[in-house]
Amino acid sequence: MALYNFKKIMVVPTAKEFIDITLSKTQRKTPTVVHKHYQIHRIRHFYMRKVKFTQQNYHDRLTQILTDFPKLDDIHPFYADLMNVLYDKDHYKLALGQINIAKNLIDNVAKDYVRLMKYGDSLYRCKQLKRAALGRMCTILKRQKSSLEYLEQVRQHLSRLPSIDPNTRTLLLCGYPNVGKSSFINKVTRADVDVQPYAFTTKSLFVGHMDYRYLRWQVVDTPGILDHPLEERNTIEMQAITALAHLRAAVLYVMDVSEQCGHTLPEQLELFNNIRPLFANKPLIVVANKCDVKKINELSEEDQKIFADLTTDGISVIETSTLTEEGVIQVKNEACDRLLANRVETKMKGKKVHDVLNRLHLAMPAKRDEKERPPFIPEGALVRRKAMEVDAPKRKTERDLEVELGDDYILDLQKYWDLMNEDEKNDKIPEVWEGHNIADYIDPDIMKKLEDLEKEEELKEKAGEYDSDEESEDEEMQEIRVLAKQIKEKKQLLVMASKEKDVHGPRMPRTATKVERKKLEKQMGGLGLDMDDKDDSHYAQQARRSRSVALKRKRETSAPPTSKTRSQSASRPPRDKSGLRDPKMAKKAKKMMKNSQKDMNRHGKKGEADRHVFDLKPKHLLAGKRKSGTNDRR
Amino acid sequence: MRIEKCYFCSGPVYPGHGQMFVRNDCKTFRFCRSKCIKNFKKKRNPRKTRWTKAFRKASGKELTVDNSLEFEKRRNIPVKYNRDLWEKTVEAMKRVEEIKQKRQARFIMNRLKKGKQLEKEEAIVEVKKNIHLIKAPHAGKAKKLEDKMVQKLQEDVDMGDEDV
Repeated sequence: MALYNFKKIMVVPTAKEFIDITLSKTQRKTPTVVHKHYQIHRIRHFYMRKVKFTQQNYHDRLTQILTDFPKLDDIHPFYADLMNVLYDKDHYKLALGQINIAKNLIDNVAKDYVRLMKYGDSLYRCKQLKRAALGRMCTILKRQKSSLEYLEQVRQHLSRLPSIDPNTRTLLLCGYPNVGKSSFINKVTRADVDVQPYAFTTKSLFVGHMDYRYLRWQVVDTPGILDHPLEERNTIEMQAITALAHLRAAVLYVMDVSEQCGHTLPEQLELFNNIRPLFANKPLIVVANKCDVKKINELSEEDQKIFADLTTDGISVIETSTLTEEGVIQVKNEACDRLLANRVETKMKGKKVHDVLNRLHLAMPAKRDEKERPPFIPEGALVRRKAMEVDAPKRKTERDLEVELGDDYILDLQKYWDLMNEDEKNDKIPEVWEGHNIADYIDPDIMKKLEDLEKEEELKEKAGEYDSDEESEDEEMQEIRVLAKQIKEKKQLLVMASKEKDVHGPRMPRTATKVERKKLEKQMGGLGLDMDDKDDSHYAQQARRSRSVALKRKRETSAPPTSKTRSQSASRPPRDKSGLRDPKMAKKAKKMMKNSQKDMNRHGKKGEADRHVFDLKPKHLLAGKRKSGTNDRR
Repeated sequence: MRIEKCYFCSGPVYPGHGQMFVRNDCKTFRFCRSKCIKNFKKKRNPRKTRWTKAFRKASGKELTVDNSLEFEKRRNIPVKYNRDLWEKTVEAMKRVEEIKQKRQARFIMNRLKKGKQLEKEEAIVEVKKNIHLIKAPHAGKAKKLEDKMVQKLQEDVDMGDEDV
């Protein structure tokens, strides 16, 4: 209904803000650049657009304000009246009327200036027209400053009104200030209304909700009413009166028996009689509050007579105390019951009832045989009900135990476990063993499975799976292994020796180093040859003959000596004949030599060490675009 | 309290260690250490990462199908505590563990046996090819030849003697 819209009203900006926002929006959202030399229709269009845009913005915003605020004629009379009380109907309507006028004026201004713009013949003239238009629109709005402020305050207050549904079941509390209405609502619902010893603590209506008979009930707390005629009432009291007048609720008139509120019982009775006309057609209960201080039968005769009169009038009087909570539930129940009855009656009198009644049909099943079929109530339910009535002591809870034992209390939930053997409840259950979770092994058939596994294991052992294979190798194999190991070691030594060679330094030619006889004999001996008397061998004889190795050969003696006397140079064969057994081999060696030189000669190289590249970056390979060629020959 | 399994390396995640990652499809991944987390974030497949248990099982380097491995299984139906059942289970666990380890060791040993065979053959080939590095081919043959020649001469002399 109109209820929710109160919270969804858009914020009403102040006049200054409104103007600022709209003008900056115009600046941002319309094109910003125009030059003198543009065609005149373009200039006109530019400025007309600005004027229209501003007008559109103002119009939209003001319309929104007008539609958001509720129309007092369209909402429930309770809210209409309440708003009248709080904000003054006339002022409200006036403010909205002003806004409407402003809107129309702005529209007119824009229309006029757009028409005038058609006759602007230069950039300067159009610009001035636009300035004038915007200026007038803003002035109109500046004049609405007070209306806008008022509307903003109304909006803020409206959004904070309690959401009272005027059509649902309601209980209304009324009476003098300080009699105990707010305490009552605090007791009965979840509301948390301020309760203070001074009068007019509650300054506006408050709503609380409660449940009774599976239905939701509203309880409305009102500010206190003093006893003077309607015209002299202030805003706060008027709210209470409005609520009383418009809400169709059960009325709880609260009276203070102990007169602690500052008003005597006859005064309270006066007030009651004064507002009696407002209680027409509403179920009424008089709540005699603060009975913990003073009971009715402790009162004086005249005061008791007041209550007796009320009772004879047919109005139920119930004694309550919001402090000790006696009678509160009784009041609530009776008020709710009577209101429900009242509402049902009203509905029955109305026209809509018949539609519903015509569609209802209570089916009573016909008896088919003489068997009695009473309703079945399970035993547990009966026991429960009895327990509820007798208010039997509940079972001892953990909380009671805790309170009893105080510091010694230890929460031990294991005692509630439902196990097969009772005495195992306090066992410490193992969870983990050697990196395995015991819970993963738990299985009722684990023993059977283990047995099967053991059987399997036995079979496997018998079959010889677990026998370790000894290395039943014959001697030959063992010898081979030993030899293989030796070969491996020898290979490693050779590799290490070759790594130690200084390859980067100057190298002596093979023939320059003399092979020591002892070394040769040792090495060959290591390989298993017999090197014992080798004095007659060829190498030994040669060694005796040659005098020294490091003699350089003189250049002059390059020609072979003619005399047959063995000279040093002739004793050593020339390189192209050393190591060759026969002419056939010599021929082959020569051929091999020539072969290996062929490539070098073809490329014009000086020798095998000549690696000079005459053309590092040949142009024909590296110039030009990459067409359908390859990279592997560049 | 449970010892979980790391998603990546299948190692144990003890309480108070490691991290758990929850993906948007509500699948949880537990990790034992940052090594596994980093590998997982790099989107590496544990079945292809050589040092994980998943790789070893998937490439047949370890025992996968065996009855002793069926004992440790995550069951979804809890069993009520019963003292003698728990005691028996702990005993059974120890025995099962023994058998499991024996079988796993046997499996790996069998796998490595082939290597021994290959080693043998390699040794034979090596010796055949490279014997010259430690023993000259005709080592000891010179002496034999001499002896043989001496013997032959002796025979000739004997023969000559006979003739005469």
